[in-house]
Amino acid sequence: MKEININVEHLTRVEGHGNIILNARNGKVEKVMWEVSEAPRLFEAFLRGKPYHQLAQITSRICGICSIGHTLASLKATEAAMGIEISQQSQLLRRLAIHGENMQSHILHLGYLISPDLFGTGSVVPLVRTHTDVVLAVVKLHRLANEFSEVVCGRTTHPTNLIPGGFYKTPSPLKLKEYRQKLLDLVGTAETVAGIILDNAGALPDFTRETEFIALTAKDEYALYDGVIGSTDAGTYPVEEYASVVNEFVVPQSTAKYCKNKREAFMVGALARFNLNHDKLSPLAKKWAEKFGLKPICHNPFMNNVAQLVEFVHSIEDSVSLIDRLLEDYKDEPRPEITPKAGRGVGAVDVPRGILFHDYTYDKEGICKQANCVIPTNQNHNNIQHDFEAFAPQLLDKPEKEIELNLEMLVRAYDPCISCSTHFLNVEWKR
Amino acid sequence: MKIIINDTEYDCKEGQKVLDVARANGVHLPTLCFNPLNAQARPAGCRLCVVEVLEGGWPGLQSSCTLPVADGLKVSTRSRPVYDQRREVVELLLSEHEQDCRNCFVSGDCVFSELCREYDINGVSVCSECPNRRQGCLLSRGVLCLGPITYANCNAYCTRRGYNCEGCHSVMKNEDLLRFGLAAFAKAEFTKEEILEAARVFSFDGVKVLEKVMVEEGFK
Repeated sequence: MKEININVEHLTRVEGHGNIILNARNGKVEKVMWEVSEAPRLFEAFLRGKPYHQLAQITSRICGICSIGHTLASLKATEAAMGIEISQQSQLLRRLAIHGENMQSHILHLGYLISPDLFGTGSVVPLVRTHTDVVLAVVKLHRLANEFSEVVCGRTTHPTNLIPGGFYKTPSPLKLKEYRQKLLDLVGTAETVAGIILDNAGALPDFTRETEFIALTAKDEYALYDGVIGSTDAGTYPVEEYASVVNEFVVPQSTAKYCKNKREAFMVGALARFNLNHDKLSPLAKKWAEKFGLKPICHNPFMNNVAQLVEFVHSIEDSVSLIDRLLEDYKDEPRPEITPKAGRGVGAVDVPRGILFHDYTYDKEGICKQANCVIPTNQNHNNIQHDFEAFAPQLLDKPEKEIELNLEMLVRAYDPCISCSTHFLNVEWKR
Repeated sequence: MKIIINDTEYDCKEGQKVLDVARANGVHLPTLCFNPLNAQARPAGCRLCVVEVLEGGWPGLQSSCTLPVADGLKVSTRSRPVYDQRREVVELLLSEHEQDCRNCFVSGDCVFSELCREYDINGVSVCSECPNRRQGCLLSRGVLCLGPITYANCNAYCTRRGYNCEGCHSVMKNEDLLRFGLAAFAKAEFTKEEILEAARVFSFDGVKVLEKVMVEEGFK
């Protein structure tokens, strides 16, 4: 029988550094491993001793893709710790911000990182020649998402407009109106891209492994900005109890911590959100979910890509209705003034890759004493490892190149942001 | 007559200079001393328009504003030696330049900050790229903006949109530049600790120099 040794050192088309290792002999998998080799980032240590108004600025630099999500989670934690209430208008504007980021991130992942797998090329560059229209449509959508984020957040990445208590400068209502129209104009383009992905969705492998899904959930909306922690296995938890949900632990092959709740692993991300909150999606998003045959509870991790597409459509539609609600009674709000207070607060936001927690403790001057950030990719690593263990034996009779591609596609489906998820750990090795 | 600029052939007349041919055909050549309203006067003083003569002339770097065209002349406007030379010229010019950018009337449209962006030089503050002087500087509106002590090259993205500079391109390490920057803060009534605290978010080495300058200047 043949021997298979696959060692993908530094998987491409993901953010950060991760390795795939597979050794098989005589039709049996001897070792299959998802290794995270990124160096620790030390962000939680940076935060200690910093004043409350700098924390969002610093944590947004954890990631260039989820910077808006990190900012929002950080602000929510600060606001929870100091008991700051924010206005209804700011709440809605922040929902627009998270929609902007969701669109940015999902179209980047689907258009540039996943489409090469669907069309069977190594990267998006050859597609420019063969599928010019698709690539141009993707660029157009990505551009709109970037510009929309800039209008609401002040910058496309690392937002300057979001500050504790509300907004530095209320976004201009004229701009919001302009982008409402632009979003509506691009619904057609989004549907064209979705159609093309649907035509090529056959390239996504059919693989299921039952697992637990965790995401924010709310009664009256498709939860992204606000809600409680929901699980497909165990109902809901308040956000403050996040530590007993994620249960972080350390494994030797990874600089990122692993997580588990009720089962051996759980998944977060677009698919988890879809599985928990599908009935609150916008009508057009529901239509596309149906076209792809995406039904809750879907246990195929590859369908995370499809869930992202569905969410993209939802974000466009929901942004338009949010802008309508906002413009009914839009005020230029003054910059919030804050008196720091001692306390501890947890902020949870569902960012493109899943549920994100920030947890800060402040002293009475508003200086951060302790910080903890639990990043979505972190929570997915364990599930990726378990998917590997279940998926690899099914692949063994295929050629080595194809096994490699399938395993790579599995990791990519999670849209991992590996460099965000690595933290400094004090590991005591027992030898 | 024909000359070759960057591998492309261009028609020209006897007596023209290479700069004129380049300008007429949309080939970019930076100049500071050349004045199109008085094109006869060519001091060849700024040395920014240098090109590299490859064939058909004296080989090496020559200022294009005074280099006459000749049949078969072949020049490059973007070779490595040209880039290095121009970079050095900008740095030398900046060393003689009074950099009180916050109070300068060309801030926001400054040719030096453009050159710094083009040749990747850390030599000017965000104020040189910031147009806010006309509508009122953020510092005079009571906002702690780190623009005066932060390296430019971002085209003042944040301050143009009305947000304060967070100093993400790091605090300048040049003591003279920092002195000009600190003068801006002196009027704006921020304490030493407030400024240092904000500067520490993105900088380490620069903050050390800043602290030193603050002590020397007696900044409180």
